[in-house]
Amino acid sequence: MEDSRSIPPQPDITGQSQADVPSPRERRKPRIPEVPPLAPPPAQLADYEAIIGKSQLDELRFLASVLRGKTVKMVNSTAVGGGVAEMLNRLVPLLGELEIKTGWEVITGGNDFFEITKAFHNALHGGEYALTEQARDVFMRHTEQNRQRMNFDEDFIVIHDPQPAGLIASKTDRSSRWIWRCHIDLSNPNTEVWNFLQPMVERYDAAVFSSPAFARQLSIPQVLFYPCIDPLSEKNKELEESYIREVCDNFGVDRSRPIVTQISRFDRLKDPVGVIQACKMAKKYVDFQLVLAGGSASDDPEGAIVLREVMEAADEDPDIIILDLPPWSALEINALQRASTIIVQKSLKEGFGLTVTEGLWKGKPIIASAVGGIPTQVIDKLTGTLVHSVEGCAYQIRYLLMHPELGLQLGRNGREHVKENFLMTTNVRRWLLLFRLLSEGLNPAPL
Amino acid sequence: MTPATDLVTRTASTPFEFKAAAHLLFIEREQARNLAELRDALLSCSEDSIFQHTFRTLEEHHFIKEGFSNDFAHWASSELGVIGLGERLASLDVREFTSLSSLRSRLIQLVEDFLARNPNVREQTAENPFYFCSSKTVVLPVQTRARDLAEFIDGLKQVSVHSIHYHFIEARLRRKLETNDFSLWLQKELGLSQAASQLDRIDIYTSTLEGVKRKIVQILQDTTD
Repeated sequence: MEDSRSIPPQPDITGQSQADVPSPRERRKPRIPEVPPLAPPPAQLADYEAIIGKSQLDELRFLASVLRGKTVKMVNSTAVGGGVAEMLNRLVPLLGELEIKTGWEVITGGNDFFEITKAFHNALHGGEYALTEQARDVFMRHTEQNRQRMNFDEDFIVIHDPQPAGLIASKTDRSSRWIWRCHIDLSNPNTEVWNFLQPMVERYDAAVFSSPAFARQLSIPQVLFYPCIDPLSEKNKELEESYIREVCDNFGVDRSRPIVTQISRFDRLKDPVGVIQACKMAKKYVDFQLVLAGGSASDDPEGAIVLREVMEAADEDPDIIILDLPPWSALEINALQRASTIIVQKSLKEGFGLTVTEGLWKGKPIIASAVGGIPTQVIDKLTGTLVHSVEGCAYQIRYLLMHPELGLQLGRNGREHVKENFLMTTNVRRWLLLFRLLSEGLNPAPL
Repeated sequence: MTPATDLVTRTASTPFEFKAAAHLLFIEREQARNLAELRDALLSCSEDSIFQHTFRTLEEHHFIKEGFSNDFAHWASSELGVIGLGERLASLDVREFTSLSSLRSRLIQLVEDFLARNPNVREQTAENPFYFCSSKTVVLPVQTRARDLAEFIDGLKQVSVHSIHYHFIEARLRRKLETNDFSLWLQKELGLSQAASQLDRIDIYTSTLEGVKRKIVQILQDTTD
């Protein structure tokens, strides 16, 4: 099924209408709820038909039919917060709807355990860390306690990330298949920590990574699952035009002029100051507003410092709108992305870059750094534009604002790229395929 | 000669069963940072890898009308900056290959020829390596079948682009023939030889897969006029 959308006309980039625009000081006090709103009910499988089409939904059901009655257990280290829990909250009920009974359990541990697993996490990203005998003992003791508490009778056991990786000791010769889903970048791990974990990882039947660049050379099959977004979540669902307008009015964003936006927490690795520099260069030639919206400044000391640096770099420019948003601002972020003319992600280092995925899904032209998982999503000049410097970013902002027809084409391609490769339904499809192939000993019938 | 109206109303003795294919991506050991490494990896990688980076990547990027042909061409141009090789690799039409071994040989030949003429680029290194992947395929029986041309056109309209890719592009490897499932069935079961050969001339590199599907439907609808 073709996905058809009407794309609103682009504002006149030379327009200077600034009537009724609040001052920068007013803009920095947006009206948003002080407490998290109630979560809406989750979408059902059938709700995705309007997005991916009946034929692709039928294909999911065919794939699942072979696995009907099989059981799955997902295990991770936290029930709330973080991308893994967010993804499992959607994946588990969708697999259940496909009649694959899927449970989700969370490991427990004391502060000592989670301090060590946090240190492991940082070390696996390349940080310095001296692995002590005591740290090994704490890790193994809590792993053993969790092993005693849990049972593993399901057909497929999926262990997410390094914290519960040691549960593999419960693997027996019976028919359960064990999968390690690694959500982090293992391209440059601390050797001591990786040498400690690797023998555990290699006991699994397969490992799943988010990018080939994040994987290690292992003796077991390695599968590629790109991270995904849920098109029906608060962050990504379609919004009423009136709501988008309300959010922009609330934040002092003038929709009659072009809007360039970067959504990311205030972190130096996201280079918000570089974005301001690029915009100041571009503004010599074209008129637009810059929106920098993100969070974490209130509970992250470094985030607060970076936010101050960003405010200084903005230098009270009325066309630079800086929004420090609470974590429950998904709808507001969705509205800002949809109101944008261009979305920028000028990160210096990046994981997969799901904010890029979100922008592509909204059909926006993306200008992004060629780091981490971004080049997988932004195919230069086809689904967006890749840049390598402040100057390159400034030039691409100018170029896309002067050639809105190119922006529309990039946006259309980008949305299709996400639809094909980075949606929750694609992720469900990948899990079904992996379960099926593991059941068949990874040897499907030839073409 | 059989009148055209007889052909379009003819009932097939064997109905056309629409199928689709689902693919799971595996990360392989081979990586390349320069053309010498790419040549070596092309020699040692599995046929599943050759399939993934040529036939399958076309399906993953089915929405792009121009400028994307296969992963090797894209990497050579965008990561190594060797535009000449990128263009030659991009000009490969997967439909001219009925086996992955012949496609592999052609890819290696193009890289070796380029290296022989441009020895200075041999060690030129890309910032982002080429990571070899492979795909394993599961065939899905789509519950759509056709016994005559009208049902066939209806079926085409219903099925996904994955089904079009499976029958129209991947079919060559399965059948070891320079044609596709649709043309074979239309010719054998309905006697529509002209329409069958017209389908084989559709350019898949200047159209999206949805566009290819529309062209197939258009050719068949014109047959009924």
